[in-house]
Amino acid sequence: MAAESQSPSFARKVVVHLRATGDAPILKQAKFKILGTEKFAKVIDFLRRQLHRETLFVYVNSSFAPNPDELVIDLYNNFGTFDGKLVVNYACSMAWG
Amino acid sequence: MDISSWDGTISLAEFHVAARALVEKWKRVSSASPPWSWVSCPKQPWVASHEVEGYLSLENIILVSIKEEHDELLSFPQKEETSCSDKEESIDIATLVQSQSDRDEICYYDLHIVYSASYRVPVLYFRVYYSDGEPLEFEDIKKHLPAHSAKTLLDSKWTFITQEEHPYLKRPWYKLHPCGTGEWMKLLFQGDVSLARNGAAIEVYLISWLSFVGQVVGLRIPYEMLNQL
Repeated sequence: MAAESQSPSFARKVVVHLRATGDAPILKQAKFKILGTEKFAKVIDFLRRQLHRETLFVYVNSSFAPNPDELVIDLYNNFGTFDGKLVVNYACSMAWG
Repeated sequence: MDISSWDGTISLAEFHVAARALVEKWKRVSSASPPWSWVSCPKQPWVASHEVEGYLSLENIILVSIKEEHDELLSFPQKEETSCSDKEESIDIATLVQSQSDRDEICYYDLHIVYSASYRVPVLYFRVYYSDGEPLEFEDIKKHLPAHSAKTLLDSKWTFITQEEHPYLKRPWYKLHPCGTGEWMKLLFQGDVSLARNGAAIEVYLISWLSFVGQVVGLRIPYEMLNQL
């Protein structure tokens, strides 16, 4: 891997912290790094595969759902935390009815 | 608002507050893009006389569809270089279109946000049409959706699209069924109790809501709208 401090910002990796909310299962591996140029869809797909759930509710800052086509680096730059990560919350759908 | 007992729904009065907040913030933040506007309607007979009736409207816009296979972003017309920016008509500054359907041309969206008294939540009504006004078939609408959005949302049991008569315009529109809305809005705000305590939740309710339902039609919410949520 090229030295991250020397790469242009868009080539940097972003630390993503996945937080379970509601009664969603907690991941054993809840933190990982992803290239900033990846789309948020990759994070969503990762969650789905880990949790084997199709219906996932994925959001940031307890307030909005990022568009899956957004770049992770853009989300990090706008909504990242002070300690340098992007916190992504997820919840699973409750039983219907 | 006591968030622990809140069911994720809002009253008509709260909807009006939230609608006003959305319109104002959108105008402030995305002054170059078409604004959401409030459309007042003649009262339905069952509505109490002191209550205002109406809905939010964003019409005649083009929404982006970034193809999965291409990594390069289509350029967003941020700098207003294109002549189209002079026209009132339609280019949403945050978007461009890349059609994926057989009829390979630009299609336009009309989006309305209507309050549902029975579910006590906002509901998205939309219609999609070509430049000659011809409405798209539902299968073609799906093809026009951004690939990831389509996959994420159309498979979800929280989002199903039905075609119904628009409650005010009395013509068939597509609508995103509201039955899951209260549930996921509650889930959403539960993560931040301070939001509710400070009374800010209603002001941002529609913006948060729109970030989810907007994805069904590929509407991108500018970051500035989301920044103080």
